[in-house]
Amino acid sequence: MITLLGKSLRSRLTILYGLLLTLALALYAGGTSVYFLHNLRQQLDLGLDRDIETVEGLLRLSSEGHLEIGSDEGEARESDFERGYLLEVFSADGFLLYRSNELEGAALGPPVHLNANHRHEPTQTIRLSNGTRIRVASRIHRVEGQSLVLRLGVSEEPLWREFWEMVGVLSIGLPIIVLLIGLAGYALAGRALLPVDLMARHAAKISAERLDARLAISNPDDELGHLGQAFNLTLGRLEGSFDQLRRFTADASHELRTPLTAIRSVGEVALQKTGDGPYYRDIIGSMLEEVNRLTRLVESLLTISRADAGQIDLHQAPVNALELVQEAATLLESLAEEKQQNVVVEGNPSITLWGDRLILRQAVINLLDNAVKYSPVGGSIRVDVCFDVDTVAIEIQDSGPGISVEHREKVFERFYRVDEARTRAEGGTGLGLSIVKWAVLVNAGSIDLVSEPGEGCTFTIRIPASKTHTLPHKSS
Amino acid sequence: MRLLVIEDEPKVGQALQEGLQAEGYEITLSITGEDGFFLASNRVFDLIVLDVMLPGRDGLEVLTALRKQGVSTPVLLLTARDAVESRVAGLDAGADDYLVKPFAFSELSARIRALLRRGKTEPITLIKIGTLELDPVTRTVQREGGRVELTVREFELLEYLARNKGRVVSREMLVRDVWKEPGRATPLDNVIDVHVARLRKKLDDPFAIKLLHTVRGVGFLLSEEAP
Repeated sequence: MITLLGKSLRSRLTILYGLLLTLALALYAGGTSVYFLHNLRQQLDLGLDRDIETVEGLLRLSSEGHLEIGSDEGEARESDFERGYLLEVFSADGFLLYRSNELEGAALGPPVHLNANHRHEPTQTIRLSNGTRIRVASRIHRVEGQSLVLRLGVSEEPLWREFWEMVGVLSIGLPIIVLLIGLAGYALAGRALLPVDLMARHAAKISAERLDARLAISNPDDELGHLGQAFNLTLGRLEGSFDQLRRFTADASHELRTPLTAIRSVGEVALQKTGDGPYYRDIIGSMLEEVNRLTRLVESLLTISRADAGQIDLHQAPVNALELVQEAATLLESLAEEKQQNVVVEGNPSITLWGDRLILRQAVINLLDNAVKYSPVGGSIRVDVCFDVDTVAIEIQDSGPGISVEHREKVFERFYRVDEARTRAEGGTGLGLSIVKWAVLVNAGSIDLVSEPGEGCTFTIRIPASKTHTLPHKSS
Repeated sequence: MRLLVIEDEPKVGQALQEGLQAEGYEITLSITGEDGFFLASNRVFDLIVLDVMLPGRDGLEVLTALRKQGVSTPVLLLTARDAVESRVAGLDAGADDYLVKPFAFSELSARIRALLRRGKTEPITLIKIGTLELDPVTRTVQREGGRVELTVREFELLEYLARNKGRVVSREMLVRDVWKEPGRATPLDNVIDVHVARLRKKLDDPFAIKLLHTVRGVGFLLSEEAP
């Protein structure tokens, strides 16, 4: 269908409109012609009725009982009548009394008997044997006590001639009109579609290198304006992700460079000196430490890129939230003990969330690890597990220095560090919280951070509650 | 024990050769898949260490061809692709175990030992290292006749080190085998350090001879001699 109509939207539109217009005009012309024909017939019938009355006035029975046609006004009427009309007259018992010469012996219909079941014949069109169409009306007429049947016919040919003339005029005019309107439509469609063409050309020019360019929109309220705006929005999002990618690549390179620089300088410095066995062992050990850091970093980057590409399969199931938290706390409790910190885990043991246990466990471990890291010696860490509408909220509160407003949004960004030197010394990759954020989002949850400098941080992750498990009784 | 190492990266190949020879294995090194396949199908080895990324025929092709030929020698795959699919593909092709690059040499040697030991059950006997005695059955530890009280985690850590006595155990091995952590991204280094320090306090501090040593950048080992 589409290939049949041509390639471009413009010609397709024009052809479709042309077809529709042709159809509409043809219907209109057809309707008009039929109405015209009907009207002509009505006029003809009216004429016939009048003429029958005239004929009735002209009919006489002579004294011998012969039928005569004549008038007081003389011969002229008679000859007129003879020329124009096709007349048959029957007696009541069906004898033909008169037939016009023009009929050349042909009948205007079957003979009529005027008996009880004689119905009045409707006015109708008949065809003579020579093909001429005749409109015939009949009437019962009483002349001097006798009933006669008159049949009067008139040729329909002039009427049909007029009709076909009109059809001819219409069918010559119609293609011309369609053609003219089609051309106008083609021009209009071209004008309407010109902005699309321009847009396409403009869009083709915008590449990954020049994502900051936008399409110019002449009218934001029409369809093309909407298209252009949608395109610009997409460009904006693309630009955003390209920027993010560029930033990420730059940050990742920077992060990789740091351990590499350390390895290199440690090695080079060691070669400039002469040392003994233990010295070299120490140097090699120090290099291997950096290698381990590199390995960890690369693994985190791999995890992140797989997460970005959506290549991580989620194994979502009901998970007991308190158990999950306690497991993470047990794993890290030795770290808290070393700093004489007090870790309190509280919550309803029957709270069940819906998510991927391993991924969420990672998130909780990362958050707890941070809490231990940033809380001072002797500080306290609180973990609360509770219901929050139809989500499970896990709240982790530390007693560290807190995070100021300007850092608060950014802490979840990759490689963002509030305190460069400190986190590096702690051996962090700068990816911990970004992994937490991903872990929570991928499980259809959310994370937020409340913190006042000097007051510690409270991270709250909310994960959808499991619907398959019955909710525990609400304690008053 | 004869091992075939198929690895195209010269530095890695050489390091593996030297390291494994130092452990007492007889090593044949091959640097292409074709050559490795030829050697593996014509000579008898106890184990094959096979790199997946090889020029020409890659490791998985070599492995599939060997298994088709009926060579049932245990194969340890080395892969740089840390994707689950490639691990699965490796195991499907008939590998017995796999290691993701970069790996700690101590881990490689532990995996090799495990594969060579396969089918033979670990003797559950008293493990003795110097004056240290560890009983896996009663889960008790004695040093110079005196009982050393350990937590469950500390005992598991010590038992693992004792089973690998004289060899360095990497942190990755501890995370996987003692802590049984599935995720590799879990930051457990500090946790391990804390436990090692506590174990050391109970095990070594009261005595002159130290048994639990840290090898910087590599891991830990239990041995009478300092590394």
